[in-house]
Amino acid sequence: MTTADEAKTVLELELCGKLADVGGAFVKTVIPAEGCSVAELFVMVARQHPALAPSLGGGRIRACVNEAVVAPNARVMPGDEVALFPPVSGG
Amino acid sequence: MSARVTLATEAFDPAELLGTFSRELAGEGAVVSFTGHARDRAKDGALVDALVLESYRGVTLASMEDIAADAMARFDVTRCRVVHRAGRILPGEAIVFVATASAHRRSAFEAADYLMDRLKTEAVFWKREEAPLGRRWIEPRESDHEDARRWHP
Repeated sequence: MTTADEAKTVLELELCGKLADVGGAFVKTVIPAEGCSVAELFVMVARQHPALAPSLGGGRIRACVNEAVVAPNARVMPGDEVALFPPVSGG
Repeated sequence: MSARVTLATEAFDPAELLGTFSRELAGEGAVVSFTGHARDRAKDGALVDALVLESYRGVTLASMEDIAADAMARFDVTRCRVVHRAGRILPGEAIVFVATASAHRRSAFEAADYLMDRLKTEAVFWKREEAPLGRRWIEPRESDHEDARRWHP
């Protein structure tokens, strides 16, 4: 999906756990067409969805890209399946 | 040497799992099992209608498999079984079951303890209590993290 600005694209992120209470199960975020780092993605999500900013700023949210939990310097590309994970809790 | 890991979306019977696990022994002298059940009350004492565990695609099962593989590599156990529920769980129902087998008891105890400590803090689930007055997300307590850190000195 491409916006009017050819250099940007829309990425749909899935919000897991309590993040979905804040922002709904999915949020759309505009990212550069050439992709960005996870850390940059967090900044863009926080800017475009201010309700999520406090959660994303706490350093406790992990990104899952194409079913792998990745580091902040990992690359996110258009079309990737991205989910944001708050702290997990099993058992 | 085998680890069997299941993400269960329906209620399961821990006694049946333990029975099957024990029947499959091949001469081991020790079996340890642990079952975690959903409590009927929240930490503040309020009654809970249900516990809901959310999972995420293949990542949840993969996280459980990684933990089981680490337990098999770390302890002198011959087999382990891990079953974890997802979805809506009623008070009293089993949430998690682990069983381990080894030649002698110490390794089986330690491996089961290790499996539970890591499942509590690292398996990819999000847990919330549903109560008449609303819902509340549950994160691992500091004591859960302390328990898990015992294995990473």
